[in-house]
Amino acid sequence: MANSSSILQQLGCFRSLLTKPRVTPVNTTGRRMLTTAWSAKPAPIPFPKELPEQFHDQIPKRFRPDLAPKKIKIYPPPAQPKCKDPIDFIAQTQLQKLDPSGKRRELFDYRRHARSVKPGDIIRVTFKNGDPFAGVVLSIKLRGADTSVLMRNQLTRVGVEMSVKVFSPNVESVEIVQRTQKRKRRARLYYLRQPRHDMGSVENLVANYLRQKRALTGAKMGGNRKR
Amino acid sequence: MIQLKTMLNCIDNSGAAVVECVQVLKKKRPATVGDRIVVVVQKQRNFGSDSTGNSGIANKVRRGDIRHAVVVRARKEMQRPDGSIVRFDDNACVLINKAGEPIGTRMNGVVATELRGRQWSKILSLAPMHV
Repeated sequence: MANSSSILQQLGCFRSLLTKPRVTPVNTTGRRMLTTAWSAKPAPIPFPKELPEQFHDQIPKRFRPDLAPKKIKIYPPPAQPKCKDPIDFIAQTQLQKLDPSGKRRELFDYRRHARSVKPGDIIRVTFKNGDPFAGVVLSIKLRGADTSVLMRNQLTRVGVEMSVKVFSPNVESVEIVQRTQKRKRRARLYYLRQPRHDMGSVENLVANYLRQKRALTGAKMGGNRKR
Repeated sequence: MIQLKTMLNCIDNSGAAVVECVQVLKKKRPATVGDRIVVVVQKQRNFGSDSTGNSGIANKVRRGDIRHAVVVRARKEMQRPDGSIVRFDDNACVLINKAGEPIGTRMNGVVATELRGRQWSKILSLAPMHV
């Protein structure tokens, strides 16, 4: 007995050879673990062609043959504009209108023209209504047709600053009364507002200049600058 | 930008030198040139005040008086219809009575032209210069 049982026990190890190898269960829950085998996406089942019409509504909407993916409408590109840079074009036409001769542009474009108004110069602007304003140029803002110049002066010992659009039709003439002795190292001379740098009134210089001009051009007043 | 507590120079010969704004009238915003304000005289000019009380240039207002005034200069820049910008280095005003006539008879100092369009032509004509 004891012998037979021990033999059977030894033969028991062959059972594993006789049984079929166990297959790992297919992933049914939809969760993919590290251990589960990757399987390709099943190919879509083609829509059955001979399906009668009355069964169509039992099939989910997205599988119905008449519901093809929506076609995106593609429009042709818009017609190319006539000019490349419309804003620049408008600015140029405005400048043409406001300053046909281009002299005012030359007078203020201090980056390109050596004889233009520069920060630190003393200029005198005459307006259409006749009253002039003179002052030291603190800054020139070059903005095309909106170019403006900021002047500072002291009238009755009160500092007055005035910013004028140089292409404005109200501006009749711009004269340079005095250029700076030395080129200013700043483009904006806002430090001239500080009391220790303030140039004070320039009325005397302007009066001198006007007297000289009158002597040179005869007794007539006004007109363009002669320098 | 003249509002409560702003100190202004008074540039007429009413006798006030420095006044303080206590109210801006007809406006919910800070006052600028041409606006009417209520002021308190903080400092008065010292000519003819105590030596000769009846010399013709006697101070018409005293320290502590509450008066109406018109702003004639402002530090805050103001833009004109043609795009030009004007700004002054100080805030200044002229004292007026309730009817709107100036208390002083003379003014010293430049004023802004904006006063013209706003019933203050008399002040503008009194001023020695306008910008």
